[in-house]
Amino acid sequence: MKIPRCYLAAIIQTALVITVSSVARAQSEETDGYVTRKEYEELKAQMLAMKKELDALKKERAVAPKQEGRESQAVVDTASKQAGPEGQLVADAHKQLAPEVSLPLVQLGTTKFLLAGWAEGMFEARNGQVSTFSASFNPIFLWELTPKLLFDGRLEIEPSGGGTNVNLVNAQLSYLLNDYIALGVGEFFSPSNVFVERFEPQWINKLPDRPLAVYHGILPNISVGVQVRGGFPIGPTRVDYAFYVSNGPVLNTFDARTAGTLDFNSYTDNNDNKAVGGRVGFLPIPGVEVGYGFETSKPGFQGTTFSDLQALVQSVDLEITRDSDLLKGRINLFAQYAWSHVDHAVYDPDGSLGFGPLPLTAKQDGGYAELAYRPTKVDIDFIRNLELIFRWDHLSRDPSGLGDPEETRWTLGLNYWLSPSTVVKAAYEWDQPNGEPNENALLLQAAMGF
Amino acid sequence: MITTLKRSMLAALVLLFASTSWNLLAGPKADQTTTQSGGAVSSDSYMGLSGEELWSNNCLRCHNIRPPTMYSDAQWDVIVHHMRIRANITGQEQRAIVEFLKSAK
Repeated sequence: MKIPRCYLAAIIQTALVITVSSVARAQSEETDGYVTRKEYEELKAQMLAMKKELDALKKERAVAPKQEGRESQAVVDTASKQAGPEGQLVADAHKQLAPEVSLPLVQLGTTKFLLAGWAEGMFEARNGQVSTFSASFNPIFLWELTPKLLFDGRLEIEPSGGGTNVNLVNAQLSYLLNDYIALGVGEFFSPSNVFVERFEPQWINKLPDRPLAVYHGILPNISVGVQVRGGFPIGPTRVDYAFYVSNGPVLNTFDARTAGTLDFNSYTDNNDNKAVGGRVGFLPIPGVEVGYGFETSKPGFQGTTFSDLQALVQSVDLEITRDSDLLKGRINLFAQYAWSHVDHAVYDPDGSLGFGPLPLTAKQDGGYAELAYRPTKVDIDFIRNLELIFRWDHLSRDPSGLGDPEETRWTLGLNYWLSPSTVVKAAYEWDQPNGEPNENALLLQAAMGF
Repeated sequence: MITTLKRSMLAALVLLFASTSWNLLAGPKADQTTTQSGGAVSSDSYMGLSGEELWSNNCLRCHNIRPPTMYSDAQWDVIVHHMRIRANITGQEQRAIVEFLKSAK
């Protein structure tokens, strides 16, 4: 059979078209050249779903901006890893939307919190008393809400009898008005008493116990009220200051032993008069400060014959810290002396309390001086971590003459520093209350600041 | 009252005399040179003192100083804020000390 030439050419041409078309289709499946109608519809449906998802994400960002960075990145990452071309479409679409809301990838909170504080364990063997161990944990809570706003609070937790005592030591809100003025309100360490403000924590206090007169003695430890404080330079020197208004002390009138003394541990007020106090410090050179503190108040109960009595407590203090090449170490000299005066009054005027009438002008004084030496410039580690301390402290007798006698103590201590804020202390105290048996004591303590 | 005031003034004068005389025993110049030459020194300064010197002078007045690596930057922010109020240091000193503590790590 003879096939016409034109038909033969048509057959060959058709075969070529079919072959090339097949090859082209095979190639297109590898290179993503064409999609079917069905595939197109599927992709369109997926795109609509993704658009809906992105709209939802945008709404979430508006509500929770902190999360959006991570979510956005997660969407991009996940989409890129999954589902090939479709996933890449999601990632690309999301990246196009992301700049509209400028996403920080990690946004931490702005409030800063720190749990600090200190703890101590102690052994005390005092002549005339049973020897005893004791311990305390003193957490300090610090919240910086903004760079100008701070809350600081401290608890004192210690075993006592068959239970545990928990005391609120201070709780204060403070605001930095400018570089030289800070305002505070709440319960705070009394600025008139530099010892409790700066040296009272047991990892800072160089001896196991605290000095007479300035600690739970003549001066207030804690005040409840408002304060303004700060510091400013005067030429090459500096002045610091703190003034406050507080509830003030309560005058002891019911007990012969304590008549005329001031009770600073009553934190609620007993009258409408408020105590006013403060301290001014002067730093002539770095490492040296002298200060004067005071508090004036009307401590008598409202409506009694004592309500108009005026009380004034004052103190002077000196702090010196010097590194000496000559002595191959650091010297600390801390000293504070305080005295109080309460106007003349007659206690138990009708004798109903059993010790009156007792007329007196209540005066008391006392203080301490402490010298410490640590050989910080010696090459031997063990020697460098030792610190030798000597302290003299004194408290005059109670004003009525019926209470605690005059007391003078001499204390010698040796510390070993395990870290900058961890110390083991050993001290011996010669304690001779006037006219009474000695109360000499051996004191051992370990304290840690954190 | 007059006796009390006289007593206060006399005590203040004695303390001032004692504190200024004490300087004769010390070697602060050598110490300051040492601190300026060592390690990270804050670019901020106050009254001619670097952040490191302010940190050392102010903190050592009451207690041993803790190494800058002991706390994170955020923790130092809180600690120095707290200590600024307690020790009555100025805002400039606070910033210089914080900058030093962060850079020294």
